[in-house]
Amino acid sequence: MQSSPNMLTKFESKSSRAKGIAFHPKRPWILVSLHSSTIQLWDYRMGTLIDRFEEHDGPVRGIDFHPTQPLFVSGGDDYKIKVWNYQTRRCMFTLNGHLDYVRTVFFHHELPWILSCSDDQTIRIWNWQNRSLICTMTGHNHYVMCAQFHPTEDLIASASLDQSVRIWDISGLRKKHSAPTSMSFEDQMARANPAQADMFGNTDAVVKFVLEGHDRGVNWVSFHPTLPLIVSAGDDRLIKLWRMSDTKAWEVDTCRGHFQNASACLFHPHQDLILSVGEDKTIRCWDLNKRTSVQSFKRDLDRFWVIAAHPEINLFAAGHDTGVMVFKLERERPASAVYQNQLFYITKEKHVKSYDFAKNVETPPMLSLRKLGSPWVPPRTLSYNPAERAILVTSPTDSGVYELIHLPRDATGAVEPTDVKRGQGSSAVFVARNRFAVFSQGNQQVDIKDLSNSTTKSIKPPAGTTDIYFGGTGCLLFITPTNVVLFDIQQKKQLAELAVSGVKYVVWSNDGLYAALLSKHNVTIVTKSLEQVSSLHETIRIKSAAWDDAGVLLYSTLNHVKYSLLNGDNGIIRTLDQTVYLVKVKGRNVYCLDRNAKPRVLEIDPTEYRFKLALVKRNYDEMLQIIKTSSLVGQSIISYLQKKGYPEIALQFVQDPQTRFELALECGNLEVAIEMARELDRPKLWSRLGAEALAHGNHQTVEMAYQKQRNFDKLSFLYLSTGDQEKLSRMAKIAEHRGDFTSRFQNAIYRGDVEDRIQMFKEVDQYPLAYLTAKSHGLTEEAESILEACGLTEDQITLPSIEEPARVPHPIVPTFKSNWPVKAAGHSSFEKALLGEVGAGDEEAAAIEFEPEEEDEAITARDTLEDEEEDVAGWDMGDEINVEEDVDFVNVDSAEAGAGSTEADLWARNSPLAADHVAAGSFETAMQLLNRQVGAVNFAPLKPRFLEVYKASKTFLPATTGLPPLVNYVRRTVDETDSRKVLPIIPKDLETIANVDLQEGYAAMRANKLEDGVRIFRNILNSVLVNTVSSEAEVEQAKKIIETAREYILAMSIELERRSIPTDTPDNLKRSLELSAYFTIPKLEVAHRQLALMAAMKLAFANKNYSSALSFANRMLANGGSPKLLEQAKKIKLQCERSPQDKIDIEFDQFAEFDICAASFTPIYGGSPSVSDPFTGAKYHEQYKGTVCRISQVTEIGAPASGLRLFVPGQY
Amino acid sequence: MDPFSAEGELINIHNAFHQGQYQAVIEFDTSALSPENQLPARVLQLRAKIALGQTDEVLADVEGEEETPDLAAVKALAQQSTGDVESALKLAQDLAENYPDNATVQVLCGTLLQAQGQSEDALALLTKHQGNLEAVALIVQIHLQQNRSDLALKEVQAAKRWAQDSLLVNLAESWVGMRLGGEKYQAAFYVYEELASAPSTSAPLSIVGQAVAELHLGRLPEAEAALTAALQQYPDEAELIANSVVLNVLAGKPSEELEQRLEQINPTHPLLCDLQAKSELFDTAAAKYAPRVSA
Repeated sequence: MQSSPNMLTKFESKSSRAKGIAFHPKRPWILVSLHSSTIQLWDYRMGTLIDRFEEHDGPVRGIDFHPTQPLFVSGGDDYKIKVWNYQTRRCMFTLNGHLDYVRTVFFHHELPWILSCSDDQTIRIWNWQNRSLICTMTGHNHYVMCAQFHPTEDLIASASLDQSVRIWDISGLRKKHSAPTSMSFEDQMARANPAQADMFGNTDAVVKFVLEGHDRGVNWVSFHPTLPLIVSAGDDRLIKLWRMSDTKAWEVDTCRGHFQNASACLFHPHQDLILSVGEDKTIRCWDLNKRTSVQSFKRDLDRFWVIAAHPEINLFAAGHDTGVMVFKLERERPASAVYQNQLFYITKEKHVKSYDFAKNVETPPMLSLRKLGSPWVPPRTLSYNPAERAILVTSPTDSGVYELIHLPRDATGAVEPTDVKRGQGSSAVFVARNRFAVFSQGNQQVDIKDLSNSTTKSIKPPAGTTDIYFGGTGCLLFITPTNVVLFDIQQKKQLAELAVSGVKYVVWSNDGLYAALLSKHNVTIVTKSLEQVSSLHETIRIKSAAWDDAGVLLYSTLNHVKYSLLNGDNGIIRTLDQTVYLVKVKGRNVYCLDRNAKPRVLEIDPTEYRFKLALVKRNYDEMLQIIKTSSLVGQSIISYLQKKGYPEIALQFVQDPQTRFELALECGNLEVAIEMARELDRPKLWSRLGAEALAHGNHQTVEMAYQKQRNFDKLSFLYLSTGDQEKLSRMAKIAEHRGDFTSRFQNAIYRGDVEDRIQMFKEVDQYPLAYLTAKSHGLTEEAESILEACGLTEDQITLPSIEEPARVPHPIVPTFKSNWPVKAAGHSSFEKALLGEVGAGDEEAAAIEFEPEEEDEAITARDTLEDEEEDVAGWDMGDEINVEEDVDFVNVDSAEAGAGSTEADLWARNSPLAADHVAAGSFETAMQLLNRQVGAVNFAPLKPRFLEVYKASKTFLPATTGLPPLVNYVRRTVDETDSRKVLPIIPKDLETIANVDLQEGYAAMRANKLEDGVRIFRNILNSVLVNTVSSEAEVEQAKKIIETAREYILAMSIELERRSIPTDTPDNLKRSLELSAYFTIPKLEVAHRQLALMAAMKLAFANKNYSSALSFANRMLANGGSPKLLEQAKKIKLQCERSPQDKIDIEFDQFAEFDICAASFTPIYGGSPSVSDPFTGAKYHEQYKGTVCRISQVTEIGAPASGLRLFVPGQY
Repeated sequence: MDPFSAEGELINIHNAFHQGQYQAVIEFDTSALSPENQLPARVLQLRAKIALGQTDEVLADVEGEEETPDLAAVKALAQQSTGDVESALKLAQDLAENYPDNATVQVLCGTLLQAQGQSEDALALLTKHQGNLEAVALIVQIHLQQNRSDLALKEVQAAKRWAQDSLLVNLAESWVGMRLGGEKYQAAFYVYEELASAPSTSAPLSIVGQAVAELHLGRLPEAEAALTAALQQYPDEAELIANSVVLNVLAGKPSEELEQRLEQINPTHPLLCDLQAKSELFDTAAAKYAPRVSA
């Protein structure tokens, strides 16, 4: 018999004879009990042996997982039933009682029961919780080979070599062992008088039916999961199907085909199929409804003993003489094709459907392909031709058939297609609008056909080709077991060949530039010309793949969705609870088909691969974007960046000092490394920092590192090599302190200090050496004194001949003074981007750019200052060296004095506001800012305000007598301690200006003290100009105040001008009348406007300009207010109305809207050209452009200006 | 034993000195002191006199006793106060070289050197101290004047380990606190308030400290109350006036009168010098700008 092409083996193990098998309900595990007494636990997905359990003596035949608990049960030829915990990996207990081999054991699906059957002819039920035997069922009169619980009802089926199958009713047992809740009298009666009892008076389990029909012993029996059906397998080589009702049971039919003993059988959990195995070495699959053989699988040598089905997924396992095999009956991959926003796919019912990615809707079935191939074989592939709206479907039935079908215009239901072109072929794909290729594996030929299904061309593919795929326009990919070949159909020419073994699927990228070749455990990415780009290996089977629009390949394994960049970098995106087939990736959504051919949308987080993609493409903007918008900071990203040689970028992410240190070293950022080393302060780190700094030539850091480690010898040598004599002598002193003579000797040599050496030799009683040294250096006196001390004379000593003693050469260049030009820890463009990102405003950015430089300067300044006395204090700690001193020792050296920047400097850096610069005393920058913002050019009037703000910025705290007081800086950010955020206090806040100064100005207006008024309002303008506010609302308020001040200054200036003009000449009188009229124009407070109107009215009236006077009177009356004023207005109105004529014609159109030029005090009518002041907004005739504003007296009229800044969001 | 520690004989005179109660120091009865404490007490009294401007007296007092380094240091300090900076500096440098381990020399010469802008030398001398709190305080102040509040803080914290309750350490901590700001303002305020409110310890020094702390805390009315009261009591205290100027400006009040008073009392006060410099700076900077069209 030929093995079925459809049966797909997923896992095989090699062992001794497998007698029992059990699937874990959730995990990819199977338990296999062996004839050799071992129980194996396998992960069939990974193909690994997880565990072995060996406590039985002799063969183990029965095995079962508990449905929910981490338990399993086994029964063996040692008569024992053992219950195991696979987590603790030990046998929990043994149930003894059977008197012969135990054949099968099963857990009950909900009760704490175990069902066992044995060659002792009994079936037993055990309670595994209290470990007791609760029921023994007798009745079979031969070995009981199999006994199973019904999946839902209180029934048991058993099969015995007595040729019978028995169905037992155990509802009594359940009643007896369920908790005695509210038992009614009837129940008690029923209990007292059992309806049926067997001959032993046993009412717990009674035989319900005895099924007789097998001619030989029955080896297995199984219930149908939902229907009242039973299937049994016997030594008569038959599989028998039985049906039962409440009252009776009968034989339905027999499946004939096994030609040896049938060992086991079961119903397919989801489909209308029966599976059976037998000693004829076959697995057979039967149609439940027709009882005909659907397919069969034959092993060459091994007899099958047992079969088991996974309760949920479409998997089966069969045990045979040399192990087990896990398999599935058919491919579960739904045939599908993607075209733009549409997915075409074939459902389990063999309906063709489409799915719209954009709208996320499924169409109703468009076609039924029921007649394609054979009923139990799903179609294999689907190829779509958008031009013709046709599909090409293949089915593996009969070594391959294809059908070309036109899709109906509308999806109207599962109609049978009418116009179908079909033919033989194992693969068929569209290769052009009107051509498709059909590959026939049997005769190794590819036919190119047109849409009427006639062959236009035939191609001989490379030998051993197993499959064909679309290979780009006009091309085909031939898949052989070891190679992939790109073939041009037009030229009939092989274009390229790539050695990739076992390719099963080809997935093209959306732009058609790349393809992913999927084999069982490998993904190979190739270009469209079949050049390999990258390749990766997976231990778990790869199922499918789809391309992201950005050129990232997403692929699914059995349990993960993963990604791969073109360069082969890959990672996990998410886990899968069930296997899916990816079809499309769009943004955060991955579209896929599950095994039931249902479209599903998986949400993914693409951040990681997008980040990596951006990194590969050096798209720093996008990286920055990603960093800012997502919380990417994880160990994996950091290690990735590190691995990819971007430690400086990784540095941006890391907080942990240890990691930061490592990264900083890696990217040569010594500053950060020093910082971190200080924070961690571990000798090991210092030594590594020292080594790294040495490589950089940064000997100052090296020095610090050595000092930290108290590495005196190295330190001495460092000083020697940098030529720092002074410190070298200090080292000598230290060595003396420490009493370390070797070190002292060494230092003395380094320094060329002969005296010290002699002194030292004397101290350690090495008089001969001392003498020799003295002698050889020509220190005769010293030599003699040594001799004297030793009581010797010169002739008693024989000296070796000595040459001229060597002098220690000194470095010519005083290296120690500063570092070699050290390679600047280069900011990558990424870092720059990051830095640039920080500053919002241009001033801020400038300030930030400015800052590092200054710090650098500070650092160098500090470094150069380093060598002075201070150091000695640090070193000359004396002999006792304790930890505390060590701390000081560090500080002294590392943070060596040198003035820092004052807080005032910080203010100027922290703020882009002019007022803050003023407070900081940085008048130049403040002026620059004001000039840029409001075109300020004449600063003299601002001087009092500048000095006022500056004066308020610091206090004087007397400290030690005899010294100037400590200067402290007054902040408006009282609670702030971060030096980057502190900001100065600015006297006269907006509130004071509005509540005090403005009122003063109004008072001056009321009191007719116009000169004072102008001065006050100008001061207000100055105060607002050099100020800060705390909110956007206050910015608006400030604008209002500026406007108010402008209007009042204008009005008052007009009136002052009028008063300065004598009214002796008609011209002057006219001008006077005009000015009094203009005085009423600025937008003053109503009460003040009334005053202006009053004055204008009176003047007009007095000069017999009744028309004007009337208009002023009318405006007064319209404004309302004080009755006394209104009374006068009414009076004048009455008189004027008698002859509303103006005696003197003035330039004042009471009906027109106009502004007053603040320089010439003449009207600027709408439409006529004018310029305004960038600060106050006062209007001027054009000829005044470039002069100083008459209102503010500070700013330049018409100057380009960015606008006054008083507030920085988030600063306050 | 440290004569200035809590059990020491000199604690009172020492504290009085550092609280700025110089008159109390001068009037202190030193006859009961043990012989070895006579000299330090005398030095303190002499320093108090210098602080009060009685330098001639001091110079006369130490005349002929320059052999004692302590007194020589006092002399140097007095010389500086009289304006004889050059000889003062020379004397101080000699002393620093010859008696670097003498506590008085350390403190007085350190002060002198710092006053003359030789911070590095001052620090070098002072760091040789052996548990001399005055030196610590001086180091702190020098660090602060160099705007190295980080170093100052470390110094204070180190000192706190061995002299937790000492007045000087508390004061030094307050100085640092006033620089750091935030919660430290309040802490500093408490220290000064405690000193200022007790009649036995109240002196311009502590009142100024209290007022300045309140000013930094943004509590202007309280600061004003403290300063006004203190000004009535000590009308000629330069720091009181200087800080009142700042306060008045902040409160939007006229400060001209106070500035004039300050100028009379201490024409070289940093506030005035600084303002003068800034005024000139303003004029130079402003001169760079002009309207395109002069009116």
